[in-house]
Amino acid sequence: MSGSRDVASRLRQTVWNGSVPLEIRLHKGDCRTYDDSDPYLIQFPRLSYLGLLLHKLHGFFASSLIYPDVSPADAWLSYEGVPLKWHYPLGLLYDLYSGVEPAYPADGSGKKDRDVEEEQKNMPWKLTVHFSDYPVEHLVKLDSEGNHLHDLYMHSVKEADYLRTGTGRTVMFLSKEDSNQLWDSVKQHSFTLYNPINQKLLNPQGVNLRHLPVKLYLPHAASDTPDKESTPGSLRVVQSLVTPSLSSRQPQTIGTALNHIIPSLFQSRRSALLAQAVLHGAVLPLSASVEDLLRATAYLDGWLHIAIVMMA
Amino acid sequence: MPHLPSFPHVSKSEFGGACGNLAARYAGQGGLQTDWTSVDVVQHDGDSYLKIEKDLHLEDHDTTGGRLDVEVDEDELREDDQEALIPPPFLKATIEFDIMLSPIYQVPVLYFSIRDPRCRHPPTMATLYHNIIHPQLKAQAENVGVIGGISITDHPATNSPVFFIHPCQTAAVLEASVGAKDITPIEYLMLFIGAIGSYVGLIVPLRIVQDNVRA
Repeated sequence: MSGSRDVASRLRQTVWNGSVPLEIRLHKGDCRTYDDSDPYLIQFPRLSYLGLLLHKLHGFFASSLIYPDVSPADAWLSYEGVPLKWHYPLGLLYDLYSGVEPAYPADGSGKKDRDVEEEQKNMPWKLTVHFSDYPVEHLVKLDSEGNHLHDLYMHSVKEADYLRTGTGRTVMFLSKEDSNQLWDSVKQHSFTLYNPINQKLLNPQGVNLRHLPVKLYLPHAASDTPDKESTPGSLRVVQSLVTPSLSSRQPQTIGTALNHIIPSLFQSRRSALLAQAVLHGAVLPLSASVEDLLRATAYLDGWLHIAIVMMA
Repeated sequence: MPHLPSFPHVSKSEFGGACGNLAARYAGQGGLQTDWTSVDVVQHDGDSYLKIEKDLHLEDHDTTGGRLDVEVDEDELREDDQEALIPPPFLKATIEFDIMLSPIYQVPVLYFSIRDPRCRHPPTMATLYHNIIHPQLKAQAENVGVIGGISITDHPATNSPVFFIHPCQTAAVLEASVGAKDITPIEYLMLFIGAIGSYVGLIVPLRIVQDNVRA
Protein backbone atom coordinates (compact mmCIF):
# COMPACT_ATOMS: atom_id res chain seq x y z
CA MET A 1 0.00 0.00 0.00
CA SER A 2 2.80 2.38 0.89
CA GLY A 3 4.33 1.45 -2.46
CA SER A 4 1.31 2.65 -4.39
CA ARG A 5 1.15 5.78 -2.25
CA ASP A 6 4.76 6.48 -3.22
CA VAL A 7 3.90 6.05 -6.87
CA ALA A 8 0.95 8.41 -6.48
CA SER A 9 2.96 11.08 -4.70
CA ARG A 10 5.80 10.80 -7.23
CA LEU A 11 3.27 11.10 -10.02
CA ARG A 12 1.74 14.16 -8.31
CA GLN A 13 5.20 15.76 -8.15
CA THR A 14 6.02 14.92 -11.77
CA VAL A 15 2.74 16.39 -12.94
CA TRP A 16 3.21 19.47 -10.75
CA ASN A 17 6.69 20.06 -12.22
CA GLY A 18 5.67 19.45 -15.83
CA SER A 19 6.33 22.47 -18.02
CA VAL A 20 6.55 23.61 -21.62
CA PRO A 21 9.14 26.07 -22.99
CA LEU A 22 7.38 28.94 -24.75
CA GLU A 23 8.65 31.42 -27.31
CA ILE A 24 6.15 34.26 -27.54
CA ARG A 25 6.51 36.80 -30.35
CA LEU A 26 4.63 40.01 -30.85
CA HIS A 27 2.20 39.95 -33.77
CA LYS A 28 3.57 42.06 -36.60
CA GLY A 29 0.38 44.12 -36.73
CA ASP A 30 1.07 45.41 -33.22
CA CYS A 31 4.82 45.84 -33.60
CA ARG A 32 6.48 49.18 -34.39
CA THR A 33 9.29 47.40 -36.19
CA TYR A 34 7.11 44.89 -38.06
CA ASP A 35 8.60 41.51 -37.12
CA ASP A 36 11.78 42.63 -35.52
CA SER A 37 11.03 42.43 -31.79
CA ASP A 38 12.74 40.03 -29.40
CA PRO A 39 10.74 36.99 -28.36
CA TYR A 40 9.60 36.49 -24.76
CA LEU A 41 10.97 33.17 -23.56
CA ILE A 42 9.65 31.30 -20.56
CA GLN A 43 9.49 27.77 -19.19
CA PHE A 44 5.85 27.69 -18.06
CA PRO A 45 4.08 25.08 -15.87
CA ARG A 46 1.65 22.83 -17.72
CA LEU A 47 -0.85 23.12 -14.85
CA SER A 48 -0.85 26.93 -14.86
CA TYR A 49 -2.80 29.54 -16.81
CA LEU A 50 -1.31 31.72 -19.52
CA GLY A 51 -3.60 34.51 -18.33
CA LEU A 52 -1.24 34.96 -15.39
CA LEU A 53 1.38 36.23 -17.87
CA LEU A 54 -0.68 39.25 -18.90
CA HIS A 55 1.38 41.89 -17.11
CA LYS A 56 4.73 40.30 -17.91
CA LEU A 57 3.88 40.17 -21.61
CA HIS A 58 2.62 43.74 -21.62
CA GLY A 59 5.72 44.95 -19.78
CA PHE A 60 8.09 43.05 -22.03
CA PHE A 61 6.56 44.22 -25.31
CA ALA A 62 5.53 47.73 -24.22
CA SER A 63 8.47 49.40 -25.96
CA SER A 64 7.76 47.59 -29.23
CA LEU A 65 4.05 48.35 -29.40
CA ILE A 66 2.61 50.67 -32.02
CA TYR A 67 0.15 51.87 -29.38
CA PRO A 68 2.12 51.61 -26.12
CA ASP A 69 -0.84 52.76 -24.04
CA VAL A 70 -2.98 49.67 -24.73
CA SER A 71 -4.15 47.88 -21.60
CA PRO A 72 -2.57 44.56 -20.57
CA ALA A 73 -6.13 43.21 -20.80
CA ASP A 74 -6.10 43.74 -24.58
CA ALA A 75 -3.49 41.00 -24.91
CA TRP A 76 -4.37 37.59 -26.34
CA LEU A 77 -2.34 34.64 -27.50
CA SER A 78 -2.64 32.49 -30.58
CA TYR A 79 -0.97 29.45 -32.06
CA GLU A 80 -1.12 29.10 -35.84
CA GLY A 81 -4.18 31.33 -35.98
CA VAL A 82 -6.04 29.60 -33.13
CA PRO A 83 -6.88 31.95 -30.23
CA LEU A 84 -5.86 30.24 -26.97
CA LYS A 85 -8.42 30.29 -24.18
CA TRP A 86 -7.03 32.02 -21.12
CA HIS A 87 -8.78 29.75 -18.66
CA TYR A 88 -7.56 26.47 -20.15
CA PRO A 89 -4.38 25.31 -18.44
CA LEU A 90 -1.30 25.43 -20.68
CA GLY A 91 -0.96 21.62 -20.64
CA LEU A 92 -4.44 21.19 -22.09
CA LEU A 93 -3.81 23.81 -24.81
CA TYR A 94 -0.52 22.12 -25.68
CA ASP A 95 -2.06 18.64 -25.81
CA LEU A 96 -4.88 19.97 -28.00
CA TYR A 97 -3.05 22.19 -30.45
CA SER A 98 0.73 21.69 -30.52
CA GLY A 99 0.49 18.72 -32.86
CA VAL A 100 3.25 17.00 -30.90
CA GLU A 101 2.76 13.24 -30.58
CA PRO A 102 1.85 12.33 -27.01
CA ALA A 103 4.07 9.96 -25.04
CA TYR A 104 3.01 6.30 -24.98
CA PRO A 105 3.32 3.92 -22.06
CA ALA A 106 6.80 2.38 -22.16
CA ASP A 107 6.05 -0.92 -23.87
CA GLY A 108 9.23 -1.25 -25.90
CA SER A 109 7.52 -0.43 -29.20
CA GLY A 110 10.69 1.37 -30.29
CA LYS A 111 8.81 4.61 -30.93
CA LYS A 112 10.54 6.48 -28.18
CA ASP A 113 13.66 7.80 -29.95
CA ARG A 114 11.68 9.28 -32.80
CA ASP A 115 9.24 10.92 -30.41
CA VAL A 116 11.96 12.67 -28.46
CA GLU A 117 13.49 13.96 -31.68
CA GLU A 118 10.09 15.07 -32.93
CA GLU A 119 9.36 16.83 -29.66
CA GLN A 120 12.71 18.67 -29.65
CA LYS A 121 12.02 19.90 -33.17
CA ASN A 122 8.80 21.51 -31.97
CA MET A 123 10.36 23.11 -28.91
CA PRO A 124 9.94 25.78 -27.77
CA TRP A 125 6.22 26.08 -28.49
CA LYS A 126 5.97 29.22 -30.63
CA LEU A 127 3.05 31.45 -29.74
CA THR A 128 2.01 34.90 -30.92
CA VAL A 129 0.82 37.67 -28.64
CA HIS A 130 -1.59 40.27 -30.00
CA PHE A 131 -2.64 43.59 -28.50
CA SER A 132 -5.39 44.46 -30.98
CA ASP A 133 -8.41 42.85 -32.68
CA TYR A 134 -9.39 40.92 -29.55
CA PRO A 135 -11.39 37.86 -30.68
CA VAL A 136 -14.39 38.55 -28.44
CA GLU A 137 -16.34 35.79 -30.19
CA HIS A 138 -13.83 33.19 -29.04
CA LEU A 139 -12.10 34.33 -25.88
CA VAL A 140 -13.35 35.65 -22.58
CA LYS A 141 -11.72 39.06 -22.17
CA LEU A 142 -9.60 39.36 -19.07
CA ASP A 143 -9.10 42.44 -16.89
CA SER A 144 -5.83 43.92 -15.65
CA GLU A 145 -6.65 42.98 -12.07
CA GLY A 146 -6.97 39.26 -12.87
CA ASN A 147 -10.54 39.10 -11.54
CA HIS A 148 -12.01 37.32 -14.54
CA LEU A 149 -9.38 34.63 -14.46
CA HIS A 150 -9.93 34.20 -10.72
CA ASP A 151 -13.70 34.04 -11.25
CA LEU A 152 -13.43 31.44 -14.01
CA TYR A 153 -11.06 29.42 -11.85
CA MET A 154 -13.31 29.52 -8.78
CA HIS A 155 -16.34 28.59 -10.84
CA SER A 156 -14.50 25.54 -12.09
CA VAL A 157 -13.31 24.64 -8.57
CA LYS A 158 -16.92 24.87 -7.34
CA GLU A 159 -18.18 22.66 -10.13
CA ALA A 160 -15.56 20.05 -9.33
CA ASP A 161 -16.49 20.17 -5.66
CA TYR A 162 -20.19 19.86 -6.42
CA LEU A 163 -19.48 16.76 -8.50
CA ARG A 164 -17.27 15.18 -5.85
CA THR A 165 -19.54 15.83 -2.88
CA GLY A 166 -22.99 16.32 -4.37
CA THR A 167 -23.39 19.50 -2.32
CA GLY A 168 -20.49 21.82 -3.12
CA ARG A 169 -20.24 22.55 0.59
CA THR A 170 -16.52 21.88 0.90
CA VAL A 171 -15.70 24.87 -1.29
CA MET A 172 -18.48 27.04 0.08
CA PHE A 173 -17.28 26.49 3.63
CA LEU A 174 -13.60 26.99 2.90
CA SER A 175 -12.45 29.86 5.09
CA LYS A 176 -11.62 33.14 3.40
CA GLU A 177 -7.95 32.45 4.17
CA ASP A 178 -8.06 28.98 2.61
CA SER A 179 -9.85 30.29 -0.41
CA ASN A 180 -7.28 33.07 -0.87
CA GLN A 181 -4.46 30.62 -0.29
CA LEU A 182 -5.82 28.41 -3.07
CA TRP A 183 -5.75 31.23 -5.61
CA ASP A 184 -2.34 32.40 -4.35
CA SER A 185 -1.03 28.87 -4.82
CA VAL A 186 -2.20 29.01 -8.44
CA LYS A 187 -0.67 32.43 -9.05
CA GLN A 188 2.65 31.43 -7.48
CA HIS A 189 2.52 27.80 -8.64
CA SER A 190 3.34 26.81 -5.07
CA PHE A 191 2.73 23.19 -4.09
CA THR A 192 3.28 24.07 -0.41
CA LEU A 193 0.33 26.45 -0.54
CA TYR A 194 -1.78 24.28 -2.83
CA ASN A 195 -1.54 20.86 -1.28
CA PRO A 196 -3.21 21.43 2.12
CA ILE A 197 -6.29 23.00 0.48
CA ASN A 198 -6.40 20.37 -2.23
CA GLN A 199 -6.33 17.63 0.41
CA LYS A 200 -9.36 19.21 2.09
CA LEU A 201 -11.20 19.30 -1.22
CA LEU A 202 -10.27 15.75 -2.22
CA ASN A 203 -11.19 14.27 1.14
CA PRO A 204 -14.45 15.90 2.17
CA GLN A 205 -15.44 14.94 5.69
CA GLY A 206 -18.03 12.23 6.04
CA VAL A 207 -18.75 11.68 2.34
CA ASN A 208 -17.49 9.33 -0.30
CA LEU A 209 -16.74 10.88 -3.66
CA ARG A 210 -19.97 10.82 -5.65
CA HIS A 211 -18.77 11.80 -9.08
CA LEU A 212 -15.38 12.46 -10.62
CA PRO A 213 -14.83 15.77 -12.43
CA VAL A 214 -13.80 14.75 -15.95
CA LYS A 215 -14.07 16.95 -19.03
CA LEU A 216 -13.29 15.78 -22.53
CA TYR A 217 -12.13 18.12 -25.31
CA LEU A 218 -12.67 17.00 -28.87
CA PRO A 219 -11.17 19.04 -31.70
CA HIS A 220 -13.92 19.45 -34.29
CA ALA A 221 -11.94 17.49 -36.84
CA ALA A 222 -12.05 14.58 -34.42
CA SER A 223 -15.68 15.03 -33.53
CA ASP A 224 -18.26 12.59 -34.77
CA THR A 225 -20.79 15.38 -35.28
CA PRO A 226 -18.99 18.07 -37.28
CA ASP A 227 -20.32 21.55 -36.68
CA LYS A 228 -21.10 23.62 -39.73
CA GLU A 229 -19.94 26.82 -38.14
CA SER A 230 -16.71 25.48 -36.72
CA THR A 231 -13.77 27.87 -36.70
CA PRO A 232 -10.07 26.98 -36.53
CA GLY A 233 -9.29 25.27 -33.28
CA SER A 234 -12.89 25.07 -32.16
CA LEU A 235 -13.71 22.30 -29.76
CA ARG A 236 -16.56 20.23 -28.56
CA VAL A 237 -16.40 20.02 -24.78
CA VAL A 238 -18.12 16.98 -23.33
CA GLN A 239 -18.87 16.27 -19.73
CA SER A 240 -20.95 13.58 -18.18
CA LEU A 241 -21.47 12.19 -14.71
CA VAL A 242 -18.64 9.75 -13.98
CA THR A 243 -18.99 7.63 -10.84
CA PRO A 244 -15.88 6.33 -9.02
CA SER A 245 -16.93 2.73 -9.49
CA LEU A 246 -19.26 0.70 -11.66
CA SER A 247 -20.05 -1.79 -8.93
CA SER A 248 -18.62 -2.70 -5.55
CA ARG A 249 -15.95 -4.75 -7.26
CA GLN A 250 -15.28 -2.77 -10.40
CA PRO A 251 -13.64 0.65 -10.31
CA GLN A 252 -14.35 3.14 -13.09
CA THR A 253 -11.46 3.08 -15.54
CA ILE A 254 -10.62 5.55 -18.28
CA GLY A 255 -11.74 2.84 -20.72
CA THR A 256 -15.15 2.30 -19.11
CA ALA A 257 -15.72 6.05 -18.73
CA LEU A 258 -14.83 6.87 -22.35
CA ASN A 259 -16.88 3.94 -23.61
CA HIS A 260 -19.83 5.34 -21.69
CA ILE A 261 -19.41 9.01 -22.66
CA ILE A 262 -18.36 8.76 -26.32
CA PRO A 263 -19.07 5.21 -27.43
CA SER A 264 -18.68 6.17 -31.09
CA LEU A 265 -14.95 6.81 -30.58
CA PHE A 266 -14.31 4.30 -27.80
CA GLN A 267 -16.17 1.15 -28.75
CA SER A 268 -13.81 -0.98 -26.72
CA ARG A 269 -13.16 -0.47 -23.02
CA ARG A 270 -9.78 -2.11 -23.27
CA SER A 271 -8.06 -0.99 -26.45
CA ALA A 272 -8.01 2.31 -28.27
CA LEU A 273 -9.00 1.85 -31.90
CA LEU A 274 -10.00 5.26 -33.27
CA ALA A 275 -8.93 7.85 -30.72
CA GLN A 276 -6.89 8.17 -27.58
CA ALA A 277 -7.15 10.14 -24.40
CA VAL A 278 -4.22 12.46 -23.67
CA LEU A 279 -3.47 14.03 -20.29
CA HIS A 280 -0.28 15.94 -19.40
CA GLY A 281 1.29 14.97 -22.70
CA ALA A 282 0.81 11.24 -22.20
CA VAL A 283 -1.65 8.76 -23.65
CA LEU A 284 -3.78 7.46 -20.77
CA PRO A 285 -3.85 3.70 -20.33
CA LEU A 286 -7.50 2.66 -20.64
CA SER A 287 -7.09 0.42 -17.59
CA ALA A 288 -6.17 3.34 -15.30
CA SER A 289 -8.60 4.00 -12.46
CA VAL A 290 -10.23 7.41 -12.89
CA GLU A 291 -10.21 8.09 -9.14
CA ASP A 292 -6.51 7.25 -8.81
CA LEU A 293 -5.78 9.55 -11.74
CA LEU A 294 -7.90 12.31 -10.26
CA ARG A 295 -6.10 12.17 -6.92
CA ALA A 296 -2.63 12.24 -8.44
CA THR A 297 -2.95 14.15 -11.71
CA ALA A 298 -5.90 16.54 -11.65
CA TYR A 299 -5.41 20.10 -12.85
CA LEU A 300 -5.42 22.94 -10.30
CA ASP A 301 -9.21 23.35 -10.49
CA GLY A 302 -9.72 19.71 -9.50
CA TRP A 303 -10.69 18.53 -12.98
CA LEU A 304 -9.18 15.96 -15.29
CA HIS A 305 -9.15 17.93 -18.56
CA ILE A 306 -8.55 15.25 -21.15
CA ALA A 307 -7.78 15.91 -24.82
CA ILE A 308 -9.23 13.37 -27.23
CA VAL A 309 -6.85 12.90 -30.14
CA MET A 310 -7.73 10.92 -33.25
CA MET A 311 -5.28 8.14 -34.10
CA ALA A 312 -3.40 8.55 -37.35
CA MET B 1 -49.47 16.49 -14.77
CA PRO B 2 -46.34 14.78 -13.46
CA HIS B 3 -44.60 16.35 -10.49
CA LEU B 4 -40.93 16.67 -9.79
CA PRO B 5 -39.65 13.94 -7.49
CA SER B 6 -36.16 15.43 -7.17
CA PHE B 7 -37.12 19.10 -6.71
CA PRO B 8 -35.26 21.52 -6.50
CA HIS B 9 -33.32 19.49 -9.05
CA VAL B 10 -34.73 18.51 -12.39
CA SER B 11 -33.99 15.53 -14.62
CA LYS B 12 -33.03 15.67 -18.27
CA SER B 13 -36.39 14.40 -19.45
CA GLU B 14 -38.40 16.67 -17.14
CA PHE B 15 -36.39 19.67 -18.31
CA GLY B 16 -36.64 18.67 -21.98
CA GLY B 17 -40.39 18.26 -21.59
CA ALA B 18 -40.76 21.67 -19.95
CA CYS B 19 -38.75 23.34 -22.74
CA GLY B 20 -40.96 21.73 -25.37
CA ASN B 21 -44.04 22.78 -23.44
CA LEU B 22 -43.00 26.42 -23.17
CA ALA B 23 -42.01 26.57 -26.85
CA ALA B 24 -45.39 25.11 -27.82
CA ARG B 25 -47.15 27.61 -25.61
CA TYR B 26 -45.21 30.42 -27.28
CA ALA B 27 -46.16 29.05 -30.70
CA GLY B 28 -49.80 29.29 -29.64
CA GLN B 29 -49.87 32.50 -27.61
CA GLY B 30 -46.70 34.31 -28.69
CA GLY B 31 -48.52 36.48 -31.20
CA LEU B 32 -50.45 38.09 -28.35
CA GLN B 33 -47.37 39.70 -26.82
CA THR B 34 -44.37 41.62 -28.11
CA ASP B 35 -41.68 41.05 -25.50
CA TRP B 36 -40.33 37.72 -26.70
CA THR B 37 -39.59 37.47 -30.41
CA SER B 38 -38.87 33.74 -30.59
CA VAL B 39 -38.77 30.64 -28.42
CA ASP B 40 -37.11 27.49 -29.73
CA VAL B 41 -35.97 24.15 -28.44
CA VAL B 42 -32.39 23.53 -29.61
CA GLN B 43 -30.85 20.06 -29.73
CA HIS B 44 -27.22 19.66 -28.76
CA ASP B 45 -25.35 16.41 -28.09
CA GLY B 46 -28.56 14.58 -27.27
CA ASP B 47 -29.75 17.27 -24.83
CA SER B 48 -32.33 19.95 -25.47
CA TYR B 49 -32.18 23.52 -24.33
CA LEU B 50 -34.46 26.52 -24.67
CA LYS B 51 -33.52 29.60 -26.67
CA ILE B 52 -35.57 32.76 -26.08
CA GLU B 53 -34.94 35.95 -28.01
CA LYS B 54 -36.11 39.47 -27.42
CA ASP B 55 -35.19 42.90 -28.68
CA LEU B 56 -32.63 44.81 -26.69
CA HIS B 57 -34.06 48.10 -25.50
CA LEU B 58 -31.03 50.24 -24.89
CA GLU B 59 -32.98 53.26 -23.71
CA ASP B 60 -34.52 51.32 -20.82
CA HIS B 61 -31.73 52.05 -18.41
CA ASP B 62 -31.87 55.80 -18.78
CA THR B 63 -35.10 55.86 -16.83
CA THR B 64 -35.06 55.53 -13.10
CA GLY B 65 -38.42 53.82 -12.71
CA GLY B 66 -38.75 50.16 -11.82
CA ARG B 67 -38.68 48.67 -15.27
CA LEU B 68 -39.31 45.18 -14.02
CA ASP B 69 -42.59 46.14 -12.42
CA VAL B 70 -44.03 47.92 -15.41
CA GLU B 71 -42.85 45.45 -18.05
CA VAL B 72 -46.23 43.81 -18.52
CA ASP B 73 -48.07 47.11 -18.77
CA GLU B 74 -45.65 48.36 -21.37
CA ASP B 75 -46.25 45.28 -23.42
CA GLU B 76 -49.97 45.69 -23.28
CA LEU B 77 -49.65 49.28 -24.37
CA ARG B 78 -47.47 48.28 -27.29
CA GLU B 79 -49.85 45.51 -28.28
CA ASP B 80 -52.62 48.03 -28.80
CA ASP B 81 -50.45 50.59 -30.51
CA GLN B 82 -50.38 49.71 -34.17
CA GLU B 83 -48.13 52.64 -34.95
CA ALA B 84 -45.52 51.98 -32.29
CA LEU B 85 -42.11 52.95 -33.55
CA ILE B 86 -40.18 49.85 -34.54
CA PRO B 87 -36.49 50.31 -35.36
CA PRO B 88 -35.43 48.97 -38.77
CA PRO B 89 -34.58 45.30 -38.37
CA PHE B 90 -31.05 45.63 -39.73
CA LEU B 91 -30.03 47.91 -36.85
CA LYS B 92 -31.87 46.12 -34.12
CA ALA B 93 -29.85 44.43 -31.41
CA THR B 94 -31.38 41.34 -29.85
CA ILE B 95 -30.63 39.55 -26.65
CA GLU B 96 -30.55 35.77 -26.66
CA PHE B 97 -31.26 33.75 -23.55
CA ASP B 98 -30.29 30.09 -23.48
CA ILE B 99 -31.68 28.04 -20.62
CA MET B 100 -29.65 24.86 -20.35
CA LEU B 101 -29.69 22.04 -17.86
CA SER B 102 -26.41 21.86 -15.94
CA PRO B 103 -25.25 18.24 -15.84
CA ILE B 104 -23.35 19.18 -12.68
CA TYR B 105 -25.86 21.09 -10.58
CA GLN B 106 -28.95 19.46 -12.14
CA VAL B 107 -30.72 22.79 -12.27
CA PRO B 108 -31.24 25.06 -15.27
CA VAL B 109 -28.57 27.66 -15.99
CA LEU B 110 -29.25 30.94 -17.76
CA TYR B 111 -26.72 31.97 -20.43
CA PHE B 112 -27.26 35.13 -22.41
CA SER B 113 -25.59 37.27 -25.02
CA ILE B 114 -26.33 40.21 -27.26
CA ARG B 115 -26.55 39.79 -30.99
CA ASP B 116 -25.92 43.05 -32.72
CA PRO B 117 -25.31 43.61 -36.43
CA ARG B 118 -23.07 46.54 -35.50
CA CYS B 119 -21.15 44.60 -32.80
CA ARG B 120 -21.53 47.38 -30.22
CA HIS B 121 -21.96 45.00 -27.29
CA PRO B 122 -19.10 42.50 -26.82
CA PRO B 123 -19.45 40.12 -23.87
CA THR B 124 -17.74 42.29 -21.27
CA MET B 125 -18.74 43.42 -17.80
CA ALA B 126 -19.17 46.97 -19.13
CA THR B 127 -21.82 45.77 -21.58
CA LEU B 128 -23.47 43.79 -18.81
CA TYR B 129 -23.86 46.71 -16.45
CA HIS B 130 -24.59 49.33 -19.10
CA ASN B 131 -27.03 47.46 -21.28
CA ILE B 132 -28.50 44.52 -19.45
CA ILE B 133 -28.62 44.82 -15.68
CA HIS B 134 -31.09 47.30 -14.32
CA PRO B 135 -29.22 49.91 -12.24
CA GLN B 136 -31.37 49.12 -9.19
CA LEU B 137 -30.23 45.50 -9.26
CA LYS B 138 -26.57 46.25 -9.92
CA ALA B 139 -25.43 46.18 -6.31
CA GLN B 140 -27.26 42.93 -5.66
CA ALA B 141 -25.77 41.27 -8.73
CA GLU B 142 -22.26 42.47 -7.92
CA ASN B 143 -22.40 41.28 -4.36
CA VAL B 144 -21.56 37.58 -4.89
CA GLY B 145 -18.51 35.63 -6.05
CA VAL B 146 -15.31 37.14 -7.36
CA ILE B 147 -16.86 39.58 -9.82
CA GLY B 148 -20.52 39.19 -9.00
CA GLY B 149 -23.31 36.68 -9.44
CA ILE B 150 -23.13 37.15 -13.19
CA SER B 151 -19.95 36.65 -15.11
CA ILE B 152 -18.67 35.45 -18.45
CA THR B 153 -17.91 31.91 -19.46
CA ASP B 154 -17.84 29.70 -22.52
CA HIS B 155 -21.28 28.58 -23.69
CA PRO B 156 -21.52 24.80 -23.21
CA ALA B 157 -22.75 24.23 -26.76
CA THR B 158 -20.92 26.87 -28.82
CA ASN B 159 -17.83 27.25 -26.58
CA SER B 160 -17.97 31.02 -27.23
CA PRO B 161 -17.99 33.60 -24.40
CA VAL B 162 -21.42 34.52 -23.06
CA PHE B 163 -22.81 35.93 -19.82
CA PHE B 164 -24.20 33.50 -17.29
CA ILE B 165 -25.74 33.55 -13.86
CA HIS B 166 -23.79 31.42 -11.41
CA PRO B 167 -25.86 28.30 -10.79
CA CYS B 168 -24.51 27.26 -7.42
CA GLN B 169 -27.32 29.02 -5.48
CA THR B 170 -30.14 28.22 -7.90
CA ALA B 171 -31.40 25.12 -6.09
CA ALA B 172 -31.62 27.02 -2.80
CA VAL B 173 -33.41 29.96 -4.44
CA LEU B 174 -35.96 27.69 -6.12
CA GLU B 175 -36.58 25.79 -2.93
CA ALA B 176 -37.13 29.00 -0.98
CA SER B 177 -39.58 30.38 -3.51
CA VAL B 178 -41.79 27.33 -3.75
CA GLY B 179 -41.93 25.92 -0.24
CA ALA B 180 -43.61 22.56 0.11
CA LYS B 181 -45.92 22.88 -2.89
CA ASP B 182 -45.79 20.29 -5.67
CA ILE B 183 -45.05 21.78 -9.06
CA THR B 184 -45.01 20.49 -12.62
CA PRO B 185 -42.01 20.73 -14.99
CA ILE B 186 -43.45 23.72 -16.87
CA GLU B 187 -44.20 25.49 -13.58
CA TYR B 188 -40.64 24.72 -12.53
CA LEU B 189 -39.27 26.28 -15.70
CA MET B 190 -41.38 29.41 -15.29
CA LEU B 191 -40.42 29.60 -11.63
CA PHE B 192 -36.77 29.43 -12.68
CA ILE B 193 -37.24 32.22 -15.21
CA GLY B 194 -39.06 34.29 -12.60
CA ALA B 195 -36.45 33.75 -9.91
CA ILE B 196 -33.28 34.02 -12.01
CA GLY B 197 -34.22 35.67 -15.32
CA SER B 198 -35.76 38.83 -13.87
CA TYR B 199 -32.28 40.11 -12.93
CA VAL B 200 -31.47 40.41 -16.61
CA GLY B 201 -34.84 41.36 -18.03
CA LEU B 202 -36.14 37.89 -18.88
CA ILE B 203 -39.73 37.69 -17.71
CA VAL B 204 -42.41 35.25 -18.84
CA PRO B 205 -44.98 37.37 -20.71
CA LEU B 206 -48.38 37.40 -19.06
CA ARG B 207 -50.04 35.85 -22.10
CA ILE B 208 -47.82 32.81 -21.78
CA VAL B 209 -48.25 32.53 -18.01
CA GLN B 210 -52.01 32.80 -18.37
CA ASP B 211 -52.13 29.71 -20.52
CA ASN B 212 -50.91 27.94 -17.43
CA VAL B 213 -53.82 29.22 -15.37
CA ARG B 214 -56.35 27.88 -17.84
CA ALA B 215 -54.62 24.52 -18.30
